[in-house]
Amino acid sequence: MKKRISLIVLATTLMASMLSACGGNDENAGTANQESGSSNQTKTLRFATWDTGDALKIEQDIAKNFETEHPGTKVQVEAYADGFDQKLAAGFGAGNPPDVMYMWDFPTYHQSLEPLDSFADKDQELKIDDFYKGLFNYGKIDDKLYGIPAGFTTRVVYYNKKLFDAAGVPYPKDGWQWSEFQDIAKKLTDKSKKQYGFGARAENDTYDLQGFVWSNGGSFISPDGKTIEGYMNSKETAEAIQMFGDMVKNGSAVLTGGKGQQSGDDIFKGGKIAMWESGIWPLESFKQAGIDVGTVEIPAFPDKPVKGVLAESALSIAKDSKQKDLAWEFVKYYVSNESIKMRVADLPVRQSVVNELKKDQDPLYKPYYSMLERSDNTPAFLLNPKWNEVNRQLSAAVEAVMHGSNAQEVLDQAVKDSQRYLK
Amino acid sequence: MAQTYLQNTSEQTAALKALKKRRWGGAAPYLFIFPWIFGFVVFTLGPLLFSLVISFFDWPIVGKVTFIGIDNYVEMFSNDPLFWKSLFVTLKFAALFVPLNIVVALGLAMLLNQKVKGSAIFRTAFYLLCHLRRGACMIWSWVYSGDYGILNYFLSVLGIQGPDWLNDTNWSLVAMVVASLWGQGSMMLIFLAGLKGIPKDLYESASIDGAGKVRQFLSVTIPMITPTILFNLITSIIAAFQQLTLALLLTGGGPLKSTYFYAMYMYENAFKYYKMGYSAANAWFMFLIVLTLTFLVFKSSEAWVFYEGEMKKNPQKKLKASRRGRS
Repeated sequence: MKKRISLIVLATTLMASMLSACGGNDENAGTANQESGSSNQTKTLRFATWDTGDALKIEQDIAKNFETEHPGTKVQVEAYADGFDQKLAAGFGAGNPPDVMYMWDFPTYHQSLEPLDSFADKDQELKIDDFYKGLFNYGKIDDKLYGIPAGFTTRVVYYNKKLFDAAGVPYPKDGWQWSEFQDIAKKLTDKSKKQYGFGARAENDTYDLQGFVWSNGGSFISPDGKTIEGYMNSKETAEAIQMFGDMVKNGSAVLTGGKGQQSGDDIFKGGKIAMWESGIWPLESFKQAGIDVGTVEIPAFPDKPVKGVLAESALSIAKDSKQKDLAWEFVKYYVSNESIKMRVADLPVRQSVVNELKKDQDPLYKPYYSMLERSDNTPAFLLNPKWNEVNRQLSAAVEAVMHGSNAQEVLDQAVKDSQRYLK
Repeated sequence: MAQTYLQNTSEQTAALKALKKRRWGGAAPYLFIFPWIFGFVVFTLGPLLFSLVISFFDWPIVGKVTFIGIDNYVEMFSNDPLFWKSLFVTLKFAALFVPLNIVVALGLAMLLNQKVKGSAIFRTAFYLLCHLRRGACMIWSWVYSGDYGILNYFLSVLGIQGPDWLNDTNWSLVAMVVASLWGQGSMMLIFLAGLKGIPKDLYESASIDGAGKVRQFLSVTIPMITPTILFNLITSIIAAFQQLTLALLLTGGGPLKSTYFYAMYMYENAFKYYKMGYSAANAWFMFLIVLTLTFLVFKSSEAWVFYEGEMKKNPQKKLKASRRGRS
């Protein structure tokens, strides 16, 4: 009984002290607010990114550096990850978007974004000439600039040197042909070891395939963006896609990244595929996994120039933002030499940074830059505002090819099913 | 005698009146149900009606909203091959899933209805499983994995080379059906309650009449639980048409759209292609399908559902009984 009473007393005193402590905090907070209100208010800038993990960590560090350089500013990094599009669209729809955001899909969002030409033109600090020139094309709609390039990557072929050595096959060299690529893939396939020459994606992003299609002289859509008949289902387009379907069929390539399947990145890390095609993203993880990795340009079709496709991320400012000047300061800081050097997950957008770090001299990085020179075609999504709808059909067709369908037939069907969106 | 009777009735009517007054007078009862009514109107009825409205608009999240009349519905029926494709996939799924679901749930309930030690533990375990369902999706993707999956391991022990379940168009839908059967718990419990409600004397008299186990099952158990079957049938149909989570997590609608459910088609229209109006039109069409199916099942139930205390082969009485049962 006594014990119980003492417990109750203890609990009451504890609660009383906690309550008073809370009260005290409130008072403190009140005065603090008043103080900051009288001098200069803390401004919060919202910045939305799709990155996660290490890349996100770097972005948070950049935001912190920005805060130290701009006292009274708080940058709230919002990591939307896989839900990026949903959350961003919901933010725009509700009239409450982040001030600054990562952006690539300008045709979909440009109506909600602030045109940046006036900012970029009058602000000398941006040093616009230092950027790789082609990068700005990706952020333009109707000749208005909506995004400042923040990072990019081209695509290359990765190869596992150990597997090449073991099979006595010489490493591929820039300027090689797809026929060589296919021969090597066959030589490096050893089904008893579950080892394959190449990994083909079960679910391709059609965007990434454009480099191959362009290299073969085809394209998904006419240059004026109005016609797909004779482009998306042209002989050249079908041939480029059929090639990968054939490699899966003859066993020299394995399907990767389907549901319940390992991703190609992981299989390459496991040393079970000899060649893999991708952007710069997985390079760091390949090195960490202890793979002796080499990079080489994308192969060519006979007597045709190799073309590459660029994956670019840019920064944009929301039209509804109430602090556009501050947002611009952040964008500018984000693409400054200092910040660019911090971001290792994609390639620097400024030539001065590349020259300083001698990235284009490094044999591992050189192919990305030589592919950049070959990336001057305009991707389909920039040419037609309804591309998303067409792409829905095209993606289904490409998936069918990887599962063994005839590319020409399914592409013809996809064109037929897509026509109504282009009227 | 007569007087007391009269007195009684007058007292009763007075009491009834007071009761009525209490029942309908004052705001208190409405205050009590207000939270629910409020939630229902704001979070269910409101959005429901709003979705009907936006189904007549071209309603992108970003950009301008325009009224387009019934164009969304026209587009759906006359132009969109994916609409038909996904509807067909869902119908196929429902045709496989609904009967299997009921058979398996009933089977489990019958097993748990046996007087064996530990049946309570199993009951809890099965019911828990149904709540682990969402998390279980990931487990299924491992079970089904072509190279490393445990299912194919067991098959290989038996000397069978299993397919890559989730990446094979012939098997992906079957795999989805089996994975969907996982969440049996609640349906099984309802069956179990129905089984427990069957009076013992029916079985006793049946066995005295010389009926064996099978005969007892067909002539006593099944007729007695038809109301439960009806309920489970309807909830199964609705669940089959709304199947989305599994497809999103396990297959993403693939391979080659072989598990591209109608609900997923709707979801993608709304949240991948931002066609809110079109997606709302899809949703309303699905609502109509489910409504029609439910109506048909109810209609047919007059022929096969029996309520307690009702004679078989007496249409007049049966009609009344089923009406009572429905209300």
